[in-house]
Amino acid sequence: MNAFVNSLPDTHLSVSALRLDQCRKGSELRVVNLLQQPLFGTQDDRVTLRLKELGFLPGALLKVIGFGLLGSDPLAVQVNGTKFALRRAEAAKIGVELIGSH
Amino acid sequence: MPSPVRFALIGNPNCGKTSLFNRLTGARAKVANYPGVTVERRSGVLTGLPHTAEILDLPGTYSLFVTSPDEQVARDMILGSIAGETRPDVLIAVIDATNLRLGLRLVMELKTLNRPMIVALNQVDAASARGISINSAGLARDIGVPVIETVAVNRQGVDKLRAILADYSREPLAEGTQGLSLSNIAELSRDDSIEELYQKIETIVATNVIQPSEFPRWQNRLDSIVMHPVLGLVVLFSILMVIFQAVFAWATPAQDLIKAGKDLLAATVSLYMPDGILKNFIADGVIAGVGAVLVFLPQIIILFFFILLLEDTGYLTRAAFLLDRPMRGLGISGRSFIPLLSSFACAVPGIMSTRTISDPRERFITIMIAPLMTCSARLPVYALIIGAFIPAKTVWGIFNQQGLTLFALYLTGVISAAIVAWIMRRNQPREEFPLLLELPSYRWPMAYHLMMGLRERVWIFLRRVGTIILSLSILIWFLCTYPSAPAETTHAAIEYSFAGKLGALMQPLFAPLGFNWQMCIALIPAMGAREVAVSALATVYAVGNADTALTGALQQSWSLPVALAYLAWFVYAPQCISTIAVVRRETNSVKATTYFAIYLFTLAYFAAWVTYQIARLLS
Repeated sequence: MNAFVNSLPDTHLSVSALRLDQCRKGSELRVVNLLQQPLFGTQDDRVTLRLKELGFLPGALLKVIGFGLLGSDPLAVQVNGTKFALRRAEAAKIGVELIGSH
Repeated sequence: MPSPVRFALIGNPNCGKTSLFNRLTGARAKVANYPGVTVERRSGVLTGLPHTAEILDLPGTYSLFVTSPDEQVARDMILGSIAGETRPDVLIAVIDATNLRLGLRLVMELKTLNRPMIVALNQVDAASARGISINSAGLARDIGVPVIETVAVNRQGVDKLRAILADYSREPLAEGTQGLSLSNIAELSRDDSIEELYQKIETIVATNVIQPSEFPRWQNRLDSIVMHPVLGLVVLFSILMVIFQAVFAWATPAQDLIKAGKDLLAATVSLYMPDGILKNFIADGVIAGVGAVLVFLPQIIILFFFILLLEDTGYLTRAAFLLDRPMRGLGISGRSFIPLLSSFACAVPGIMSTRTISDPRERFITIMIAPLMTCSARLPVYALIIGAFIPAKTVWGIFNQQGLTLFALYLTGVISAAIVAWIMRRNQPREEFPLLLELPSYRWPMAYHLMMGLRERVWIFLRRVGTIILSLSILIWFLCTYPSAPAETTHAAIEYSFAGKLGALMQPLFAPLGFNWQMCIALIPAMGAREVAVSALATVYAVGNADTALTGALQQSWSLPVALAYLAWFVYAPQCISTIAVVRRETNSVKATTYFAIYLFTLAYFAAWVTYQIARLLS
């Protein structure tokens, strides 16, 4: 898994230019890689693992389906026929590429 | 005689595990439709088998790499590493057929443990309605364990599973010799990385499953309304308003019926029993006391019905999702929403369900503020006082002023909880903790499971009426009757009783709040259960003034500021020993429990004082 993990995404340095937390509602995306999130501290590896277990693996197709009240946080995303609510901090761990939107 | 075979249900949250459990045992279990409601240990006896067999409903889990206390319980039970618990003999891994990959992943992980296992492919009816077709025989071949299709909606849906379980319970099982431990799991999984496992699953799914790539359109349409920034808020508040209006308005006919029945019974007793202490005991102690609380049964049924309905349809998790950001400002999360919402019914199950909160700080705060959510036991007290002092006028065209007052009391509790949470969190280091909430598919609620849940809740309430409330009613009657008044006196008889003396003793402490001694007396038995305050007041006032209804008695004896102060007291006071006991159990700390009781009593005293003083200045 380490091959996929970058340091904190810095928009011009990271492999993936786009992160899930930057995407609009209706975006259809493909997961490129999983990134580190210093906000989670020592828990970060566990969060990465759990995200992968839930299906957020490189290559997986995602769709942003909605947001919570007051701003775009948390966001609801569909992966493998399951819908999940992720906070911005978790969504920022997922590097994606845009494949469509409506 | 061999010990009975022990089965354990294991699966993802929302896979329909608990409804399967209900079907297999006929037990009175609550249905889960949001992540992690089954925190308690649930076990039952399998019905319809030739041999006795036990079945255990383990907490929902996504993985053996646990992230919350309830997932840990599920894993440790399977490993047999919980002291005093025997490892289950056979695992029944439940997979939601509409959510196959996530379920299969857990099954593949469980398979590495080499335990006897059966896969129950649940909700195959919902799957085929969506156009998903699954070759379960092929699935069984590829996974290497029996796969049984089940439908928890109807009774026949579990017959095949029951037949298989009967086979397992008959044959003595070869006990696995492999020692299970955590290192064992870690080792197995290091070889089998998540990516590899998912590749295997993709192969299995590709071979055995034909499924449309899209979600059913109505599900997505519903979500686009529910998660809409404006419409979603409208939906959420409409639902909450409907619930509160329903609790007050729809229950009235049934309440009137119960009230009439109670009066009829008391009148019959008065008519046919000889005068004396026994008649007094039955009519004023038992019937009046219990009846005064029983009147609120319809309201409690309506409230529980709505909470169960929201759970079962899948809306409750959406509400948690929508409210996550606003709640996070207070240091809690959308996950706390479910325990807090349950606390509107009763703080005891609410506090118990905080086990699903992974962050210990957040869990502590949620426990501390849970009793500020207006529980159903407070409804009788609120309803009585609102009915007596707030006119039933219609305001703004559609709202009943009494309903609005009730809403304001609920809101006061919620806002106070927010402030308390914010203050508590301010002193804590902030560390983000992942939310990762699954939003389950919308489901049509199943009447069978809804009714089972409702029956369970109603039964708990009735049992309290029959035990704690009955005995406290008798105790109050005794305290209010003895010692009896001297033959020639101008004072009310109760002023000579134990109750009168006790109330007089407490009254100076509560005088700044405007409380009279009758109100002070009612607070004592209300420690057993808040709603007893109503029957206590009924007894206290009926003894002194037998012909006036309780409402009339209150109107005569209390001023509006006093009534409002009493309401304020009940918003905050931890008036229920069972709540304090459950806090003690869940925090496992005497210090935390003491802190809990003291902070709430202080808040109650202060709030009642402020309310009384302000209301007096205004009137």
